[in-house]
Amino acid sequence: MDDIKQTERAGSGNGSLTGKAMNFMLERFPVEKMNFHYMFEQKEVPVHSMSWGYYTGGLTFFFFVIQVITGLFLIFYYQPTVSDAYLSVEFINNHVSGGSLIRNMHAWSSSAMIFFAMLHLLVTFAMKSFVKPRELTWIAGVILLFITFTFGFTGYLLPWNQIAVNATKVGLQSIEDVGQYLPGALSTLPQVLRETFQGEASVGQSTLGRFYALHVVILPLALSALLGLHLFQVQLHGMSRGVDEKPKRSEKFFTAFFFKDLEVWALAFFILFCLALCIPFESFLPFPLLAPYDPLGATPAGIKPEWYFFFVYYPLELLPFWVILLASLAAVLVLFLTPWIFRGTSRKTLRFIAVLAAAYLFVMTVFGQAIYEALKS
Amino acid sequence: MLDSFLYVALPYLAVTICIAGSIYRIRREPITYSALSSQFLENNGLLWGSLPWHIGIIVIILAHALAFLCPGLWQQILSVRAVLLVVEVCGYGLSILCILGLVVLAVRRLTSPRIQAVTTAMDLVVLLLLILQVGCGLMIAVQYRWGSLWSVGTTCQYLWSLALFQPDISYIQDLPHAVKGHIVGAWLLILVVPFSRLIHMFSVPLSYLTRPPQNVIWTNPRRAEAAGEVFVKEESRRHFVLAAGGIAFGGFLLLIGTFDKIFNFFFGPRLSAAEETKLMQHKLERLKITAEQRSLELERRESRFIFIADLKDLSDTEGKYFIDFSMQPGIAFKGENGLPILISAKCTHLGCTVGNRRDAEGRILCPCHVSYFDVVTGKPNEGAPAKAPLPHLGWILMNSKDQVIARGPHDKTGGVNLSAQTLADARVFVTREEG
Repeated sequence: MDDIKQTERAGSGNGSLTGKAMNFMLERFPVEKMNFHYMFEQKEVPVHSMSWGYYTGGLTFFFFVIQVITGLFLIFYYQPTVSDAYLSVEFINNHVSGGSLIRNMHAWSSSAMIFFAMLHLLVTFAMKSFVKPRELTWIAGVILLFITFTFGFTGYLLPWNQIAVNATKVGLQSIEDVGQYLPGALSTLPQVLRETFQGEASVGQSTLGRFYALHVVILPLALSALLGLHLFQVQLHGMSRGVDEKPKRSEKFFTAFFFKDLEVWALAFFILFCLALCIPFESFLPFPLLAPYDPLGATPAGIKPEWYFFFVYYPLELLPFWVILLASLAAVLVLFLTPWIFRGTSRKTLRFIAVLAAAYLFVMTVFGQAIYEALKS
Repeated sequence: MLDSFLYVALPYLAVTICIAGSIYRIRREPITYSALSSQFLENNGLLWGSLPWHIGIIVIILAHALAFLCPGLWQQILSVRAVLLVVEVCGYGLSILCILGLVVLAVRRLTSPRIQAVTTAMDLVVLLLLILQVGCGLMIAVQYRWGSLWSVGTTCQYLWSLALFQPDISYIQDLPHAVKGHIVGAWLLILVVPFSRLIHMFSVPLSYLTRPPQNVIWTNPRRAEAAGEVFVKEESRRHFVLAAGGIAFGGFLLLIGTFDKIFNFFFGPRLSAAEETKLMQHKLERLKITAEQRSLELERRESRFIFIADLKDLSDTEGKYFIDFSMQPGIAFKGENGLPILISAKCTHLGCTVGNRRDAEGRILCPCHVSYFDVVTGKPNEGAPAKAPLPHLGWILMNSKDQVIARGPHDKTGGVNLSAQTLADARVFVTREEG
C-alpha cells in the first residue's frame, strides 16, 4: 500500500508522461472523497440567478427513466420484422389497453429528453462548468448526447412506416456520401459503415433487426454506463459555481435540492402525461407518411427527419455537402475539446456563444421549413 | 316529537349557534380562534396522533361534503364498480387512521402531566364526541355496506330538505339507529364548534404549506450557527410537501383514469371475433408482401431476366415500378417508338425512390430534394441536387413463344422493324446484363 503511494508520488514528482497521466486521473477521481458523507451529505448547490440550470440534467435523466419504463412496456408487443412491425405498432395503438398512452409517452418523452439534453449542454457551457476537474464530466456528457441522438435515429425506423424507412434511407445514404471527400483507402470506409448498419443492399429486415438491437439493448447499456460515470463525477466534484459573483448562499443537495428536483419531476410528469393523453405525437404529420412502408412505389413527398435533426437537416438541404461536413466536423471537435479550448474564456463570452447557438437551434428548428421554402423557390 | 327535535330543531339550532357563536368568538377573542397548541409541551405523541387524525378526517369530510353537495355527480362517479370499491376501501382505511390518531391523542392528553395542565373539560368532550362519531361511521360502513351509494337517496335528500327550509324527516326515519346516531353526533359537533377548540377549522393554515420559510435570526453567535440548518430543513420541508403533493396528484390522476388500463396492458386485449379476423387478414397481407419480396429476391438469383409487364400495359406517362437485379426500384415506360424504357428509380443523390409520373417535359421527379430526371436521357435538370444521371436498365422483348424479338436499350437495331401486331403481344423483361 505504501509502496503504491510512493510510486504515485514519485510519478507525479518527476513530471514524466505516466506521472502526468496518473496525476490527471487522481485529480479527477480523488479517492479520499469517494464516500457517502462527502458525495451526498456534504454536497451543496449554490443559489443564484442561473440556478435553474442545475435542473436540466436531472430532467434529462428523468425523461430517460420514463423512456426505459415505457420502452419496457412496448417491448411486450412490438415485433421487429418487416411484415409485422407496422401492424404491431398499430396493434399497440388501437387494441392494447393503455397502449396508445404508453407509446405516446415514449414518443413525447423522447423529444423532451433530447430537448433537455441540448439545453443542459448549452447551460453547462454558459456556466463554464467544464473546467478542471470536470473535463471528464463534460466529455461523458457529449458522448451521452450523441448516444441520445442515435437513440432517436434508431427509434424512428422501428414503426416501419413510409416516413421512417425513407428518412432512414436518406440518413444512411448521407453517411456514404462522406466517402467522396476521404483520401485513398479511407474513401470506402463510410460505405462499409453504412452497409454494416444496413445489413443488406437496401433498408430491409436486416436493418430493422440491427436498429432494434441498437435501440433496445446496446444503446441503453452504453448510455447507462456513461451516465454512471457522468453522475459519479458530478457527485464527486460537486456542483460548479456557475457564475462569476460569489453566491450569497447555497443549499444542501440532500434534502433541499433533491426535493426541489422531485418537485420539478412531478410537474414534468404531469405535463408529459396530459400531453400524451391528449395529443398523439404523430398528429403533426399527414397520413400518407404514416402508412406502412411500401417497397414498390415512389418516396412520398415531405420526408423529414425528427425535429431534433432539423438543425443539421435544413442546412444540408440548402448548402453544399462538403460545407456541412466540414462544419459538423469542426463542431464535434470543438464540443470534445471545449474544456481545453475555452479554459480561459470569461463566463460572459461563453454565455454569448451559448445564446448564439441556442438562437441558431431555435431558428433552424422552428423556421427551418420556411427558410427552406423561401430559398428554394 | 323526539324525532322532530333531533332531526329538525337540533340541526337549525346547531348551525345557527355555530355560525353566530363563531363570528362572535372570532370578533371578540381573535386570539383564541385556533386550537391551543401543545406542541411545545409534548411533540412525539402529537406527530403520531395529530397527523393521521387530520389527514384522515379532512379527506373523509371532503368526501361527505361532495356527496351532500352534488349527489348526482357523486352517484355517477360511484356507478363504476371499481371506483365504488376504491372509495369504500379508502373510507375504511382513513377512518381507521382517524381512530388510531384519536386514540394516540387521547392517551397523550390523559397521561402526559404537562398536557394535563392545559386540558379543559371541553377538550375531553370534543375528543370523546369525535371518537364516538368516527367509530360510529366506521361501524356503519362495515355493517350497512355501500353507504356511499345509499346515502344519496336518504341522508342527502334529508340534508337538502333542511337546506331548502322544507324539513322532511321521512327520508331518514327508517334508517338504522347507528346511522341516526351518526347524524345526531354530527349536529352536536357542529353545536360545540364555537365553544371548543374545533373552531380552529375556520383558520385552516393552508398557506403554511407553501409560504416562504421564516428565518429566525439569532443574535447569539452560537445559535446563529445552528439557525442555517433549521432554515435548510424548513425550506426542504416546503419542497417536500409540494413534491409529495404533485406526486400524489399524479398518482390520483393515474388511479382514476388509467391505472386499470395500464395494469391491463400486460393481459393483452380481448378482441371481438370480427376484429380478430380483420387483424389476421392484415397480418396475412403484410406477410404476402414480404413473401413476394423474398420470392423476387430468389428469382433474381436464379433467372437471367424477369417479367415486368405486357408491353401493351406500359404507359408513356405513368411508369410501372419493379425491382431490378440489384434489388433497387426501377420504372418501366413505353417510349415514343413503342419500345420500352427501363430506368432506375433510385435517385443518384440520396437514394430516394423517384416518382413514376412524367411531367409535360417528359421528366420524372424525385420528391426528396426536387431533382427532375429526363426519362429518355436519364439526366437530371440543371442545378438539381442530383448530379449523375439515372442509369437505364437492359430489357428484352419476348413473344408468346418465348422467343427474344428485341433487346435494349443499347441495341438500337432490334425491334425497330417489328409490326404493331407483334408488339401488342410482346412481354417486357428486365435483364441482368446491360442491354
